[in-house]
Amino acid sequence: MAPEAAYTQPAASPDPRALLKTLGPMGAGGRCAVAALAAVLAWGGVAYVHQLRYGLAVTAMNDYFSWGVYIINFVFFIGISMAGTLISAGLRLMGASWRHPITRLAEAITLFALLVAGPLVIIDMGRPDRFFHVLVYGRLQSPILWDVFSLTTYMAGSVLYLYLPLIPDLALLRDTQEPMAPWRHRAYAILAVGWRGTPSQYAALHRAITVMAIAIMPVAISIHTVTSWIFGMTLRPGWHSTIIGPDFVIGALYSGVAAVITAIALFRRCLHLGQFITTDHIRKLGILLLVMGLAYVYFVVNEYLGAGYTNQGLERQWLHGVFAGQFSIQFWTMILTGLIIPILLLALPGRHVMGRIVVASVLVNVGMWLKRYIIIVPTLGSPYMPLPPGAGRLLMYVPTWVEWSITAGAFAAFCLMYILFAKFVPIVSMWELAEAAHPQALADSPDSRGDRPSHPSPTQLSTPSVMTLLLIAAFAWLALDWPRSTRGEAPSPTPATQPSRQISVDLTTTHEEGKLVLQAAVRVDGKPATGAEVEFFARRTFGDLPLGTDTTLDDGTCQVPFPTDLPGNAAGELDCWARVKSPANLAGATAAAHLSGARAFVPRPNPFPRALWAPRAPVGLLVTIGGLLAAAWGSYGYALIQIVRIRKAAA
Amino acid sequence: MKQERIDSGRRQLLRQSLTVLGAAAGAAIARKLGAAEPPASAPSTSCSTCPTTQALTPDHSLVSAPSNGKVSLPLAAADPSGRSGVPGRRWIMVIDLSKCDGCGHCTAACSKMHFVPPTRQWIKVLRLRESERTSPYFFPQPCYHCDNPPCTKVCPVDATFKRTDGVVLIDNDRCIGCRFCIAACPYGARSFNWGKPNDPPEAKQAAYSAERGYPRKIGTVEKCDFCPDMAVQGKLPACAAQCPMGVIYYGDQNEDTVTNGLGKTVRLTALLRDNAAYRHLEELGTEPRVYYLPPKNRIFPGPDESGDSHGA
Repeated sequence: MAPEAAYTQPAASPDPRALLKTLGPMGAGGRCAVAALAAVLAWGGVAYVHQLRYGLAVTAMNDYFSWGVYIINFVFFIGISMAGTLISAGLRLMGASWRHPITRLAEAITLFALLVAGPLVIIDMGRPDRFFHVLVYGRLQSPILWDVFSLTTYMAGSVLYLYLPLIPDLALLRDTQEPMAPWRHRAYAILAVGWRGTPSQYAALHRAITVMAIAIMPVAISIHTVTSWIFGMTLRPGWHSTIIGPDFVIGALYSGVAAVITAIALFRRCLHLGQFITTDHIRKLGILLLVMGLAYVYFVVNEYLGAGYTNQGLERQWLHGVFAGQFSIQFWTMILTGLIIPILLLALPGRHVMGRIVVASVLVNVGMWLKRYIIIVPTLGSPYMPLPPGAGRLLMYVPTWVEWSITAGAFAAFCLMYILFAKFVPIVSMWELAEAAHPQALADSPDSRGDRPSHPSPTQLSTPSVMTLLLIAAFAWLALDWPRSTRGEAPSPTPATQPSRQISVDLTTTHEEGKLVLQAAVRVDGKPATGAEVEFFARRTFGDLPLGTDTTLDDGTCQVPFPTDLPGNAAGELDCWARVKSPANLAGATAAAHLSGARAFVPRPNPFPRALWAPRAPVGLLVTIGGLLAAAWGSYGYALIQIVRIRKAAA
Repeated sequence: MKQERIDSGRRQLLRQSLTVLGAAAGAAIARKLGAAEPPASAPSTSCSTCPTTQALTPDHSLVSAPSNGKVSLPLAAADPSGRSGVPGRRWIMVIDLSKCDGCGHCTAACSKMHFVPPTRQWIKVLRLRESERTSPYFFPQPCYHCDNPPCTKVCPVDATFKRTDGVVLIDNDRCIGCRFCIAACPYGARSFNWGKPNDPPEAKQAAYSAERGYPRKIGTVEKCDFCPDMAVQGKLPACAAQCPMGVIYYGDQNEDTVTNGLGKTVRLTALLRDNAAYRHLEELGTEPRVYYLPPKNRIFPGPDESGDSHGA
């Protein structure tokens, strides 16, 4: 029962100013932790330099497992970035009053997870030096571009959404009498944008936070969906599925809540925040984690049941690898640590509730990392085509020390950023705590105080619905926008062979019984040659197309049907030639002629349609992406205008 | 139309010039043809004192060039970037599985022509078998140069692109190495230069064009290029030309004709119609430009039927 003592309910209203103490110098343990993390990060840097020098050959990736741990980490960090949005924006919009002490912790996870995820993509690139090509030559048809837009939009939004609720606390830090380094004071002063806590400033702040809380939700859903679409837009078993988008979103919520609980437990212990973050918070987050876990079970069942039931083609191979083959250890470990054990820990009644919730959330983090592995690697291990003979053990993926070092470095970078942030600003929102405890004392704004958000205007509320409509329009357009084939120009004529001197062969076209025929007249010294076997050809780029063979009659002529359906040039002209095959004294005599009567082949000028594979993106896609970006950035603009108003109100 | 005539004139010139291509004159002509190359890669022809080195053209005729410069080999495309395609052409391939004995000459010839490292194959000879009771057969597999190419759809930077002549190529100067195309290609036709490329000196000497995979660049993708630079000279790709069984037919769909390495020229439509031709994994909707004739009435034993294990 001893550990439980730390989780006791605090006094009715703790003093938020006690949080200022958390910004003081770190203890020995803290310094050791930072030093260790910095060392791990540095080692990751060394590994990356090694990779830059020798290329991705230092990884275990190959032409089959063309993506590996880097992309797994990318998806994992994108996943936990969902935390801030759900815990903070979701709870804020729902008016959950218990959220105050944990919103900032969650928002910070979002930002730092994104700051790690972005570079991981660049680390995975074969040519990181050409990253700017994405901006210069970017093709909107590529889901990578969608991800770039979505990631930058989400990153900007999460910076703004983290920053807005920081403003009153930054002002408090600016005005505090505690001794601090001059740069710190200057930074607080600048970032506080002249916050004085006037009613108009509070009104502007609440407006901005509410709009951002609304805007960040569809953006967050978009980033998880679009990341899933990088996989979903390919023709690969396990990826090309309709469930993959929602699967990523729910998986992100699940791992995000787990990450928040883990972080909260750590900070609560290390920074002695027990009076602010109570057992009740962890209990509520535990329930949230349980709900998300059960939802994710539902998605996992959906993911595998259909494929396993129909057991069709490649999916059979893929599922065998996952359930019983090469990847089964990782898969069943994921099922146990990521789903079964945490859900049992969370759902079963009994003692040590807090400890169980924290253990469950740590297990979920591990399990969800493995889930990303199971999403990415087994699909790459199930190619449509068999391996060529002698290819060896190409269907094995065991990450190398470089990949593990960079992975460790990524996690260290995430933790370091988090710790430094917690030393720069209080990790718990002081003003929101105070506002929740004494609604009248701080918030004088008539329309926005306490837990409830202000009522946003109808146009702001409609942002998600506008985005939904645009998405539907995009799908409709893409569904209709199948590529059309292109046609080319007629072949160029090739010079004909010179006819023989003594033996003359004349090649012409004539009409026989209403049909166009190719006729050769063979003469020897001006007299018709009878019984000569003549072969007819049409000239083509790589060889001569046989048109038939015929034997000359008494008048020295022979005929084959003219290939009227064979494409000629634009005028329907064809390069034909004939050769005498026998008798021996005539053999080898040839004649060539440029004859009309073939199918006229009129080339179309290079008409690349607007298509997903073509250089130019379909109009619907342009409109959709443009509209979505405008909606998101428009909301950000509104929030920025509120910051300007706060600034002006100070003057 | 004027542009097309100029282009066809250029092809004519190219074809004629290649027939008279001597070892010494070749370099100058080749350089002239590739004159639109960036100046750095087009060395001066008047430098008689410069040390020279021998370089191979795609059809393995020797040209000499200053050893400090790049050899600009003739290109099929009208522009040196290799993006525009040969006007009026739509290259196409038909592979007759009934004649393939799995000898692997196609792979060897292709690898020699494109300096493909031994760990990689641009055209693979796979062994397929539909089910246990059906007979196994050899299956030469190049890039299919699909008309609805999944690789090209997903490329974020237009580094892999489809040309008007149907060819799907990769621009190694633009590729960022994200490997999305490798994941997207259902046929595994693409390879990645994971480490530093180990090209032979002849390949390093060549001026880069998207129409050729070399000189290779680290961190970029490569694959079968369908040999349009050979095609405009009226020459078959190495895989088709070197196949002793005449398995691989290649041609221009606009001419409705394909030719194999044994010199057999046939009507494309008739060949496809009369032989129950199919495209591999048609249900994926990628619309490959490579057709297969089914492995019926085979004249050679399949992979597991003969005692000879064909290099397995």
